[in-house]
Amino acid sequence: MNEFSQDVDAIEVLRCADCAASDSAAYDAIPVDYMPIPTEAIAGFPHGVPRMPRVNRHRFIKNGVLGFAAVYAASKIPWQTAFEAAVAEGAVSGNNCLVMLFLNGGNDGPNTFVPTDPAEYNAYLGLRPTIARSNVPLTNVPTPVGLTPMLGIESQLALPNLPGMALAGPAASPGSLKSLWDAKNIALFPATDYPNPNFSHFTSRDWWFGGVLQKSPTGWLGRWLDLYGSTTNPLQAVSIGSNVSKIIRAARAPVASVPETFAQFGFTVNGAPTATVNAQMAALAGAPAGNASTSRSRTVFGQTVQVAGDLAKINVSNGVNYPANSSLSRRLQAAANLLGAGLGTRIVTIDWGGFDTHGGQLGSQDPQLSVLGQALAAFQADLTTRGIAGNVVTCVFSEFGRRAGENASFGTDHGAGGPMQIIGTQVRGGLGGAPAPLSLLDRGNLRVTTDFRAVYGALLSEWMGGDAGAVLPGAPLPLVRADGGNLIL
Amino acid sequence: MAATLNARRAPKRRRRRLHKPLLTWADKKMTAAMVDRLFWRAGYGPSPQDRALWTGKRVGAAVNWLLTTPPTLVGNPPNNGGVPLSPTTSDTDLVLDWLDRMIRSDNPLVERMTFFWHRHFAVSRNDVSPAMMIKHIGLLRSYADVANNATTDFRSLVQAVSIDPAMLRFLTGELNRKGHPNENFGREVMELFTLGVTNAQGQSNYSETDVQELARALSGWQINTTDPANPLAFFTPARWDAGAKTVLGRAGAFDTTQAIDVVLSHPNHAPYLMRKLWGEFIQSPPDDASLNDLAGTYVRRGFRIRPVLRKILTHRALFESIAEPNMIKAPAVFVPGAMRAMSVFVTGSGPRFRMQSMGQEPCFPPDVSGWEYGPAWLDTNTAINRFRLVSELTQNQAVDLVDVPGETPQQAYDRALAAVGQPWLSPATVASIQAYGASAPAGTVTQRRTRLRLLRALMLGGPDGQVM
Repeated sequence: MNEFSQDVDAIEVLRCADCAASDSAAYDAIPVDYMPIPTEAIAGFPHGVPRMPRVNRHRFIKNGVLGFAAVYAASKIPWQTAFEAAVAEGAVSGNNCLVMLFLNGGNDGPNTFVPTDPAEYNAYLGLRPTIARSNVPLTNVPTPVGLTPMLGIESQLALPNLPGMALAGPAASPGSLKSLWDAKNIALFPATDYPNPNFSHFTSRDWWFGGVLQKSPTGWLGRWLDLYGSTTNPLQAVSIGSNVSKIIRAARAPVASVPETFAQFGFTVNGAPTATVNAQMAALAGAPAGNASTSRSRTVFGQTVQVAGDLAKINVSNGVNYPANSSLSRRLQAAANLLGAGLGTRIVTIDWGGFDTHGGQLGSQDPQLSVLGQALAAFQADLTTRGIAGNVVTCVFSEFGRRAGENASFGTDHGAGGPMQIIGTQVRGGLGGAPAPLSLLDRGNLRVTTDFRAVYGALLSEWMGGDAGAVLPGAPLPLVRADGGNLIL
Repeated sequence: MAATLNARRAPKRRRRRLHKPLLTWADKKMTAAMVDRLFWRAGYGPSPQDRALWTGKRVGAAVNWLLTTPPTLVGNPPNNGGVPLSPTTSDTDLVLDWLDRMIRSDNPLVERMTFFWHRHFAVSRNDVSPAMMIKHIGLLRSYADVANNATTDFRSLVQAVSIDPAMLRFLTGELNRKGHPNENFGREVMELFTLGVTNAQGQSNYSETDVQELARALSGWQINTTDPANPLAFFTPARWDAGAKTVLGRAGAFDTTQAIDVVLSHPNHAPYLMRKLWGEFIQSPPDDASLNDLAGTYVRRGFRIRPVLRKILTHRALFESIAEPNMIKAPAVFVPGAMRAMSVFVTGSGPRFRMQSMGQEPCFPPDVSGWEYGPAWLDTNTAINRFRLVSELTQNQAVDLVDVPGETPQQAYDRALAAVGQPWLSPATVASIQAYGASAPAGTVTQRRTRLRLLRALMLGGPDGQVM
């Protein structure tokens, strides 16, 4: 199992020309949406963390990541106010929370959830002679894998025989997606999209993030925050490991972004001890400034040294083993830390992966699926350990699916109907949407069986609260599950 | 500054003209610090040759050189991992190609001005094809190149942008047709490109009716993408709303050209654009006299850019706070500036992603309003990424990492300072970095290399490296 200890983030994926910008995820760079943030808003409390009942600086730094929060739309909120709001709202326990996990690049459905019906499976083999998952080793299949049918009503689909998917993960992080399935904690919508899907990464992301099928300045959860969120607490919605996601971009409500790894945050120079570099930087930052710009620069560099020092002290580990060497692990771990910190966080967004598998799909998707399954299982265990599993639902989605048939590069091109998973102990597990028939395609594409906006609507009306119709104008509501009933228990 | 002006200003209005020379330092001979200042504000920092050539010369002579010298690309041609750039097929290469021009243009003003127009007429590659983007930037560059196109004017620029395929796509002008007006572009023409929402007194410059009426006038344009490599705008008379419109109080059956002329005749256009152009180069806002002077020149000279650029670049305010630089470098200045200073050329995708992490990636503005400028560029996140860029560049300077056994701390300091282009450092910074150099272990090759690296990174990537 050593192959899975490598850093899957470093995996090279063959991409089409217009996908270059989606490389940003693979490079851990920021998404295209960006707003420069005032220092005052991101650097925490210049005059130290204010004393608050029940929360001292130690607990604050230990539990929270507020010391380094980049705030969007919050530039006019004094940090004292934001902090008070965070503490006050954190005191209200039991609020339902939503984690939006975006698989960047367009995750392929049929190789994540494999059809098991004999006729469907034959169609699958015909469409994907090289990259199909099979019980029987085929030539040109780098990693022959078997099928493990899911249990109960999910028997139409199977998880691939990968560690972290159907199989247990490596000993260090034994969880798998199948364990969540068996616990009935996953509602799967195998072919989600919107009518007349557009196969541009950017257009599709705009639609999925915005929750409407047109250009929108706000994200769907940003609009929800504007209607139902806090007007003062930027930690109510946090993007981890990227700049603020469009999903939570609001017209008025403050939101934030935080880094995934606190300890790695700091000034470094190849070969030089980090402590030396940061001590030198602190000395430079301490020099007197003669104008506003040099003052700004020295102040920011000084705060960066200080914040890096504070963040390095945080121990986010909760005794739960996440898969090693993955930014997804770090981001989910930070999410659990944040959600458990009692700072009023309702929404977390995470962008991860390079799922734009135009070529060599088995070599690039498989390791990522392994990490995904293990990390999601570890995240659920982490939430359980913290006693907040009943308050958190995770939505795993991608901007589109992929073409039903493989291409000449042993990969798949942009297509319709990607899988969407809603995960949590309060979720009614099962097959929420019908699998798209591989024997009956629409011009080479899967037939969409669920409009993603309907799932969003159910997440709002059944979980987060509020008027889904007001947040999602034009959405086909309510959600009608293939297996009937609600999304949430 | 304004107070001084007022004090010197006599009661009679006509005497103001006599004091105009106070605004310009065109005849002033430049110190080395002034050369640095001019080449940072009009470019990406001075080269040793710039300093040698212009120190002791007049401001006006250097500005004239910047305004009249067609740029030549010097230095190593770019590549991405050893492969020549292919901007039409790779967004990374598209960004790197522009970065390369910034680094290698001997006269840097054209690229600074091209980027200024990119800030102003922001179009993102996310929404238009690579061919459209390349054509769009080429259009902006032709108007920014005041050396080759001396009479280039804003009126022609905004007219050209209005029917530029990239803009027709980005602001959905191609959907704007008779009976189905699309207000997207018409609104931004006034709000962002020419007038601003309100004037200095806070009064609205236009009404919603003006937006609707302007949109009708701008209708009829579409994009022909039969040849994807060469998108072309075309006009279909039947899609144009030929009816009478009233825009900003003027009535007529305006078409695109006429309607834009109506907008440009608005009294707030000149001050709006001049204030923004000034802000690209000078930190303090323009005083009233300077703004009036610029706006007057701009209108009198038929919206031409070069005369007002000359006034701004020779303005004494450009040299304010000369002992301590007072403007934060935007990422699109900091990154090419650092690479120029260290003579590192484009050889890979790294700088593109650093620019992303700093919040400013050419060809990918966050939205139609472009990027904000100023102190907001620096936050704890971007500070790390700025330092990291320099830290990474020091590793590309293999030749300058040649080990010199027995090199004294002062020698190491001097060598590091030369390797990063002798940037401005405050006295306190010099003392602090020298103190590090004196205390750093230097007994082994590795230790001496580390010392050189850290010295350079602190000089160029530290707080003082962020201002110009």
